[in-house]
Amino acid sequence: MNRDEQPVVSGLSCLVLAAVFAAGLLHLGVRLKEVQVDDSADYSYANARQSVRRVQTAGVRGRILDRKGRVLAANRRSVSITCQPTAFQKRTWEATAEAIEQAVSNVAAAIGRPSPLSAKAVRRHIRQSLAMPLFVWRDIGERELAVFSEREREFPGFAVEESVERHYPEGALAAHVIGYVGRDRGEAEAGDEKFNFVTPELRGRSGLEAYYDSFMRGVSGERKLLVDARGFAIRRWTVVESQRGPDLQLTLDVAIQEEVERQLRGEIGACAVIDPISGGVLALASSPGYDPNTFVPSLSPEIYARYATDPAKPLLNRATGGLYAPGSTFKPVTAIAGLEAGWPEHESYDCTGTFALGSMRLRCSSRWGHGELDVRHALMKSCNPFFCNLAVIAGTNAVVVAARAFGLGAKTGIDLGVDAAGVVPDGEWKMRTYREPWYPGDLAQMAIGQGMLLATPLQMARVAGAVGTGWLVTPRLKLDAPVERVPLPFAAAHVAVVRDGMRMVVAGDGESHGTGWRGGEGVPVPVSGKTGTAEIGMGERRRKNTWFVAYAPSERPRIAVAMVIENGESGGGTTAPKVCAVLKAAFREGGS
Amino acid sequence: MLAKLKRFDWLMFAAMLALIAVGTVSIWSAGNARSEALFHGMWRSNLVTAAVGLVLYLVLAFADYRRYLGALAIPAYAVAVAFLVAVLAVGSTVYGGRRWLWFFQPSEISKLCVIALLASLFGSGGERMAALRPTFRGFALAAVLVGVPAMLILAEPDLGTTLTLVPAALAMLLVAGVWRRGLVTLVALGGIAALAMLGAVYEAEKPGASPERSELIRRMLPLRPHQLRRVKVFLFPEADLTDAGYNLRQAKISIGSGGFSGKGIGRGETNHLKYLPQAISMNDFIFCVYAEETGFVGSSALLALFGLLLLSGCRVAFVSSDGRGRLFAVGFTTLVFAHVYVNIAMSIGLVPITGLPLPFISSGRTFLVTVMCGLGIIQSVSIHREKTI
Repeated sequence: MNRDEQPVVSGLSCLVLAAVFAAGLLHLGVRLKEVQVDDSADYSYANARQSVRRVQTAGVRGRILDRKGRVLAANRRSVSITCQPTAFQKRTWEATAEAIEQAVSNVAAAIGRPSPLSAKAVRRHIRQSLAMPLFVWRDIGERELAVFSEREREFPGFAVEESVERHYPEGALAAHVIGYVGRDRGEAEAGDEKFNFVTPELRGRSGLEAYYDSFMRGVSGERKLLVDARGFAIRRWTVVESQRGPDLQLTLDVAIQEEVERQLRGEIGACAVIDPISGGVLALASSPGYDPNTFVPSLSPEIYARYATDPAKPLLNRATGGLYAPGSTFKPVTAIAGLEAGWPEHESYDCTGTFALGSMRLRCSSRWGHGELDVRHALMKSCNPFFCNLAVIAGTNAVVVAARAFGLGAKTGIDLGVDAAGVVPDGEWKMRTYREPWYPGDLAQMAIGQGMLLATPLQMARVAGAVGTGWLVTPRLKLDAPVERVPLPFAAAHVAVVRDGMRMVVAGDGESHGTGWRGGEGVPVPVSGKTGTAEIGMGERRRKNTWFVAYAPSERPRIAVAMVIENGESGGGTTAPKVCAVLKAAFREGGS
Repeated sequence: MLAKLKRFDWLMFAAMLALIAVGTVSIWSAGNARSEALFHGMWRSNLVTAAVGLVLYLVLAFADYRRYLGALAIPAYAVAVAFLVAVLAVGSTVYGGRRWLWFFQPSEISKLCVIALLASLFGSGGERMAALRPTFRGFALAAVLVGVPAMLILAEPDLGTTLTLVPAALAMLLVAGVWRRGLVTLVALGGIAALAMLGAVYEAEKPGASPERSELIRRMLPLRPHQLRRVKVFLFPEADLTDAGYNLRQAKISIGSGGFSGKGIGRGETNHLKYLPQAISMNDFIFCVYAEETGFVGSSALLALFGLLLLSGCRVAFVSSDGRGRLFAVGFTTLVFAHVYVNIAMSIGLVPITGLPLPFISSGRTFLVTVMCGLGIIQSVSIHREKTI
């Protein structure tokens, strides 16, 4: 054969190549058998684990009770209409979403309630929580439930699902203390390896619901869902039942709380009532208030807008977050500062009706002056010049130290999210805030609780209680929280002088009334107190915030109160009678 | 014409049609799992592409390759290289690689052109080639002809395509007897180098290796970070189950959980629950979709179909009396075999993960048409096996 015509590739090499191919494919076949037949069970197990979705189910929240067991926050059965996406399975996600929307609008027409779901919400649910029921109408009423149940057969894929909603049986009572809850979106937290879905859980958003959220929150349970190739749920079973969270028992006394709120009704103001020995808060109220039930199952935009635009700020807890000039209720603090600085308890001062310091003139409540009076009578008559003079003699530092010792200018430590510190001004603070030096006039203003001094009603209740007992307590709402208190760092004799003065504010000195005489009328125990009328604003916008702080009984007090009413007439005229009513209620209740 | 039909390799043709059918069903299943509507109709476009490919296949099969292979090989090669340069200049980037020119991937077409050129040059019985073949100069010529497109493809970067072109070219040179002794040595050296690299990666990544030493080895290796990661996953599949390790793990779960008889067409859970990486489930990892749904029965049937196709190719080479025809059949079947072997082997962790389509099964229009054209030429070799023209 001609060399040119002989193929350059030998037939043998073709056969060798075929053998290589056959060997290669056979090798793949053998290894595939290992994976698909020999080890298939392992891979199937791994796959099954991937096909099971773990769902974290929310535990039921504990209740909130007052000190006697009255229920302030509870849980009620709630009925929702849900939609199971599995029933609307279509070839594409978009078609599934459209089928669900169509079905929802059919049900909406039947029960006469529009669909609350946006197109986006439906698609988000399909993308993220396909295996879970979609809550369409939460917390429906009896009528809607009746209509739906009657026609349920017409709406395959929809079901009535029971869940739990928060309920506040006393309505607006102690709303600022209890707070309210909201609902998280049911998404597993990023990085949560354990669960694929989380049923939406109630979360405290404000007040005790927020502060003790993790305490009251139930122990979550676990449910498993078996999903098919497209992620629709086929079967579900419970692995771990969720558990109810513990109840939160409060120091609050509903009887006192109710009386406090009755006295505040129609006013803008706040009141704090504490046990000055243990620090337990017996009542804490702010007016105007709101009904936390309006936040269930979710706060509607209209109601939210109403709360947000109301100039009286109903959501603000004025008792712990409202900053007020304490006015003359601060005078016991000034008195202690003066006595500690060496002012003799019987030393008299001649009040002429004004106090002049440089170019500044401060008027006394008594036009022509109180004449000669000592520190006890100065408290009883609430004499401004006396305390201005006393503070100037004692010096700024002495007053500031005393104020801080009474817990002013610092958070009280109450177990509530809102706990304003207030302001105890001094030279450094004024320079930092206003870029101005500290003038003696500032001290004179502070001496009578005006100027830049700011405190909350809770802080002032604590001051009153501290005078009565000699101890500064940390207020608390949880009944079994430990008692925290520190002794006042003052000579007992000095505190006793102030106690005398505060007793005379209510009881008089046998010859004349004290400014707070209305504070003790008809109360079965002796009451000590102090009035305050803080003037704020100038000219047309001049208003008076009227205070009364008190503790009772005068010896070994068991209750301390502070109340402020905005735009009142005077502490003695406006607020003292209201506090008196609160005290009567407290001691009628068998003495708390 | 009747004689032509008699010499037409019906078995190879039937195997090809069956593979196209399997591919279309797999693409349908993989596409359905995607949320984007775009992919739901992918199976239809696969059929349209197959129809176009079939026309080209029949034209190339019934025309005499001896007339067009020699005439077209050089211009086609030149055009392919021009396209490869163009794609680097103006191509669009998908998944980090610059591979697309308008609607096609020039790298796929260039594989066919390189094999055709090598076949027509080294398969011819001419005096000059006969003299050149056993020498190093013959090898150098081949190395340049393969190396230029291979380097251009590597620059895209598309390691997988280069990795299949090189064995195909080597098989052709080996059977054509080009610089035989040198080539054998070279292949042996290459194998040793690959093993050494594997050993070096093992040393750098083994548990308890000192960090400084590992860093030094890593810097000396000619691997890009993602390639290093894939080799690492290949050596230690359980060490890192994120990223590349996750892909391999999910691929094995897909295939393994299919079991003996599979879960049924369209019922593959790992695919539809999107555990299997979506971006590649229709392309490089489509074997997982198929194997999960059809089980060991299905995957061995698929291997049998590929076996039928490849062995038919070898038979054509064997019965052909023409060097160019034989060489082309050898080269192109080796290319298809390399794709099949590497793709399936990487899905079960036998070789490091490399981006590489599975012929007929993966969705990819350029590659499907290219493979059908190549098989069309082999069919032409079968039909025109007689010496006379």
